[in-house]
Amino acid sequence: MPEQVERKALSEGLAHLNESMRTLAERSELAIRKATGYLERTPTPGEAEEVFTIDRDIYDLRNEIMKECVDLIALHAPVARDLRTITTSMEITTDLDRIGRYSKDIVEAAQRISAGGNAAHPRVEMLVRMGGLTIGMVDTAIQAFLNRDAAPVLNINEADNAVDDLHDRVFTDMVDQMAGRSIAPDVGAEYILINRYFERISDHAVSIGYHVTYMVTGRRPSRAHKS
Amino acid sequence: MGRFVVDHLNAFYKDKQALYDVSLEFPEKTVTAIIGPSGCGKSTLIRCLNRLHEVTPRARHSGTISLDGREIHEMDAVRLRRRVGMVFQKPNPFPTMTVYENVAAGLKLEGGHPKNEIDQEVYRSLKQAALWEEVKSNLDGPGVGLSGGQQQRLCIARALAVSPEVLLMDEPCSALDPIATAKIEDLIFDLRKNYTVVIVTHNMQQAARVAEYTAFMYMGKLVEFDLTEKLFESPKEKLTESYITGRFG
Repeated sequence: MPEQVERKALSEGLAHLNESMRTLAERSELAIRKATGYLERTPTPGEAEEVFTIDRDIYDLRNEIMKECVDLIALHAPVARDLRTITTSMEITTDLDRIGRYSKDIVEAAQRISAGGNAAHPRVEMLVRMGGLTIGMVDTAIQAFLNRDAAPVLNINEADNAVDDLHDRVFTDMVDQMAGRSIAPDVGAEYILINRYFERISDHAVSIGYHVTYMVTGRRPSRAHKS
Repeated sequence: MGRFVVDHLNAFYKDKQALYDVSLEFPEKTVTAIIGPSGCGKSTLIRCLNRLHEVTPRARHSGTISLDGREIHEMDAVRLRRRVGMVFQKPNPFPTMTVYENVAAGLKLEGGHPKNEIDQEVYRSLKQAALWEEVKSNLDGPGVGLSGGQQQRLCIARALAVSPEVLLMDEPCSALDPIATAKIEDLIFDLRKNYTVVIVTHNMQQAARVAEYTAFMYMGKLVEFDLTEKLFESPKEKLTESYITGRFG
């Protein structure tokens, strides 16, 4: 067997990157969780501000991680799985940053709905289900990244399909209700936006899954097309 | 022209086997890098390509190597080496010759070339080796009076002067500073338009920079051969991965 070399500096850098990615993912998941919770009850200004702060933290952390990645590339000239890990981290930070931003957008929409004196709409239950599904998807994809295991994300499209089905149902329902004037157009529009944000978060979770698959296998999965 | 095909090549130094059943093809007018730890057989492999291996006492081989479809061991060795030039690790200009004489040496040895033709070939070769501008006013100066990087480009010019189809380079930059290395790498980049280049290097980043194909060898065996970007991004073999990521050496 060949003599093993540790490459300590690179290995330590990659380990630190992994921890940074874990922290970023935890912040993003927390943002979705809080945003989802505020669909059923109005967030206090302090609670809303907390989500906004998380969103800013995510952005700052993303920038730090990008710098870490650029430094690792510049200083250690990584190749193969090391290079794939670093470039995948860079790509995933963009997904997680967008997830944080959508969570903030959801809270802002929820605030606007409640500011008009509107109680939570019965269809919020479906949005909450979408929130739960997306949290699960992001968690699955991030665990796959941290464990360097593509198996958990092989079927991430199925969860995305479930989110998309809910999205289509909520969208159709809201449009019908707005047409029938059983919901004010401005409130209906806010729910449609929230619906859209969850659908986008789901797409970003799928994107993370694809990146993880590439990182682990070296092959980029083809984009799944729905019939 | 300049397509090498190596088929089931085994090479030996006395009783010691240096290459084991190596088969690969060097596509024409491309740069192929051979990487691997010391003693893996990469230099032996390129020395087989221009039959320098057989010059070593008690060295032998089995298997075939063809150049453009013709087995090289059926060719005249001198003619083969004219078609397959070689540049070594340490620049080795002829010590008693001027810059001009170094480049012209191969043509003069062949004989039959008029002075004006040799002048043109010296100019063309020095131009191709990206050295002309630096030496044009000092063609009568000694070759060994140039800097290390210039000497290596002089050796490349010397190899190019006899219009080879293939250029073999055995760690051509290992004795050079980064600027001289960059000049040689730029030169290799340009040479692939007209020549098949095979470069042995310990510097994996250099392989990644200059080569379209890369072969990884270990303990006399060819472990993996692929497009350079594929080999460095997603190698198929774990051994390749361990080596290029620096996990063993």
